[in-house]
Amino acid sequence: MGLRGSKPTFDDSSNVVYFIQIPLRGLRVPNLSPFPLKLETYLRMAKIPHESIMISTLSSKGKTPWIRHRGKDVADSQFCIEYLNKQFGVNLNEHLTKEQQAVSRAILKMVEENLYWVLVCYRWFFMNPKDMGLSQNIPSLIFAFIRRRVRKYANGQGMGRHSQEEIFHIGKLDLQALSNYLGEKKFLFGDQPSETDCSAFGMLAQFVFSNIESPHCALIKKEFPNLERYCHTMRNTFWPDWDQVLKGDASSTKL
Amino acid sequence: MHCNCGNTKLLIAAAGAVAASAFILLKFCRKKKLTFNDDSNVVYLVQLPRGKRVPSISPFPLKLETYLRVAKIPYENVFSSQFSTKGKTPWIHHRGTDLGDSQFCIEYLNKQFNVDINAHLTKEQRGVARAFLKMVEENLYWVLACARWVFGSPSRAGFPSSMNSLVLYFIQRKVKQYAYAQGMARHSAKEVFHIGKLDYQALSDFLGDKKFLFGDKPCETDCGVFGMLAQVVFNQPDSPHYEVIKKEFPNLERFCWSMREAYWPDWDQVLEKA
Repeated sequence: MGLRGSKPTFDDSSNVVYFIQIPLRGLRVPNLSPFPLKLETYLRMAKIPHESIMISTLSSKGKTPWIRHRGKDVADSQFCIEYLNKQFGVNLNEHLTKEQQAVSRAILKMVEENLYWVLVCYRWFFMNPKDMGLSQNIPSLIFAFIRRRVRKYANGQGMGRHSQEEIFHIGKLDLQALSNYLGEKKFLFGDQPSETDCSAFGMLAQFVFSNIESPHCALIKKEFPNLERYCHTMRNTFWPDWDQVLKGDASSTKL
Repeated sequence: MHCNCGNTKLLIAAAGAVAASAFILLKFCRKKKLTFNDDSNVVYLVQLPRGKRVPSISPFPLKLETYLRVAKIPYENVFSSQFSTKGKTPWIHHRGTDLGDSQFCIEYLNKQFNVDINAHLTKEQRGVARAFLKMVEENLYWVLACARWVFGSPSRAGFPSSMNSLVLYFIQRKVKQYAYAQGMARHSAKEVFHIGKLDYQALSDFLGDKKFLFGDKPCETDCGVFGMLAQVVFNQPDSPHYEVIKKEFPNLERFCWSMREAYWPDWDQVLEKA
């Protein structure tokens, strides 16, 4: 699974958004990386016409996902959303008060800059590779190489310096915060979903649907069942074709 | 016979420079054995030496020390460049136990001293408090780290005297590496500033006219936010980050002053004299 994929060709005269994501199709989630899942959920929520391309070409920032629209490449899921909001006149946060928008930003960052690293550390250091739920097996040598790289990044970021118990605990506090805030609401801020729901879903789906053998999944089921309920709500609403996507049909186009 | 005097002089000069550098570095990093009184209930807070404009040029020691003051836990400062077992600062020593990571320290101290400065928050507010704490410590922190260490040359202004240029050079090397690993350094300076501005906006919008984030009493997250914003408001008066706070988010500066006046009445006395 090389990361120097071939450059796809795009029709830059059309208004379609090409959504390029790394081919990490899971057995149980459309992508094992939370950010492609976040961005694709946003595209569906915002009803922006898009074409999904699964290819190992990373963005200019060396990450996934990225988009191409009318000849312009944009990297980073949040910059993509800001770009698309402008291009298509979309604002999924319109119904939020100023204070709610602030909380939305805080939750987004907690999920993407903290809970994300809990997920990464658990997946790469403490779980059996088979439990990752990848649709294709990663050869052991490549797995070891990637794990070394992930270890370096996790240590640089800081999460990798904690013990397994400490990382579990940090994840638990984040999940608790999400659960406390969500309460009995359908989405984070009520009956209408918003941008941060895309990110929260992209991340939680990894725990709830993919890492089913992980202690965080067990924890969610036992202590934060509203998070599981929330994931199903998001899935049923924005991914009615979830099962078809997992099988490789419908919305995914390979070049 | 050809004399290689030029090369020899160069070699001697280079060797001298290496030796001098090693001496200066060792002087900063020398691990003087720290001694503690394990019979007392005092919490020893081990942190870097005082700054000239802020009590700590790192947000996490300032956060933790502010928490100790808010929670009224007796503590004693130990100024040392000795890092925790996780290779970071600050850390604490209490009754024979060493503990690193400011948030783990707070959790430990809450239990040991039966303290909960979040007690007045509702369940939902606790969720929000956690989110803001993480936004500030895992996102805004990296914005400021990049602004200071990755883009442009870092200035020693306001830093403790013991942190000389060579130490700063090594810190900069490490921070660049870490910021790339975390992801923030993959963005341009303009993008990083934009990310920081969105965080300031969120903090400012949430704080509004309130004295502290959740009303008239501070909580743990106020300590974390203060530790971070104080770096900009009090320590980097020439930075574009301070400029944007002054211009667009003045309530954040007001918040910093509220925290400083309430919990650091000795602010000027504790700083390293310029």
